Amino acid sequence: MNEEMYIQEKVGKRNPFRVPEGYFDNLTAQVMQNLPEQPERRAKSVFMRPVFYAAASVCALLVAGAAWMWRPAAEVSSTAPVQANAVAQPQQQESAEGYFDEAADYMMLDNHEIYAYLADSY
Amino acid sequence: MDKRKEFEALVREYSETLYWLIRRIVLTHEDANDVLQNTFLKAWNAYDSFNRDSKLSTWLTRIAINESTDQLRRNKHLASAAAEDLSVAKSLLADEFFDGDATEAMLQEAIASLPEVQRTVFTLRYYEEMKYSEISKILNTSEGALKASYHIAVKKITEYFKERD
Repeated sequence: MNEEMYIQEKVGKRNPFRVPEGYFDNLTAQVMQNLPEQPERRAKSVFMRPVFYAAASVCALLVAGAAWMWRPAAEVSSTAPVQANAVAQPQQQESAEGYFDEAADYMMLDNHEIYAYLADSY
Repeated sequence: MDKRKEFEALVREYSETLYWLIRRIVLTHEDANDVLQNTFLKAWNAYDSFNRDSKLSTWLTRIAINESTDQLRRNKHLASAAAEDLSVAKSLLADEFFDGDATEAMLQEAIASLPEVQRTVFTLRYYEEMKYSEISKILNTSEGALKASYHIAVKKITEYFKERD
């Protein structure tokens, strides 16, 4: 036998729950009474907005700086040996990652907060 | 129309339907009333950001289910803190706002023993007779996963009864 049919035949779908007398008559009024006059938005988003813009500016500067540091070798110096650039790059990369971490620590922001700002802003 | 009046009309239209959905999840009238109040409070505070392209009933049902699940977690925490071991069926049979028989109380106990998602899917499908496409929008889960959850839930409930027959 189909298992769903087994449950239906054994128990059925009757609603066995009850409510106090007149509960639904006053429900709308009771709900409306418990609501604040105006919707209460989270204060955090307004308070933290300037911090978010500052963090976004720092990130933009870091990205621009990283792009400048890692521009093609030919543009840096046509006379510099290719081997020297190849050796220098991992060091620069480590250094750039360090800047990101330091900046994130400094701003005391984590990814969840950044996502929250983006969600609030758009 | 004034926003508050508009919201009041919404409360009037959906409160009873939402109450019964919540009640089937949290089981007691007291909890269901608290969860319903919280559901409308959350909806009111987020009313300005509600996407008007979405279905209002889907949005409200989603909030109600999330609030109900939170309530169950709080109850679980309180129950384990108090080391209560009264079964769900016994509690229901002693509840003045439950007029079901022992078999109906057993079904509620079997549903209560399911993991959160299976419990919610079973309630929406079995009692509310909701389409999988609608449940999918509410729970943001694929229809395939929902069908699997429902199938497992039905199987577990059947086994629950057969073990006690």
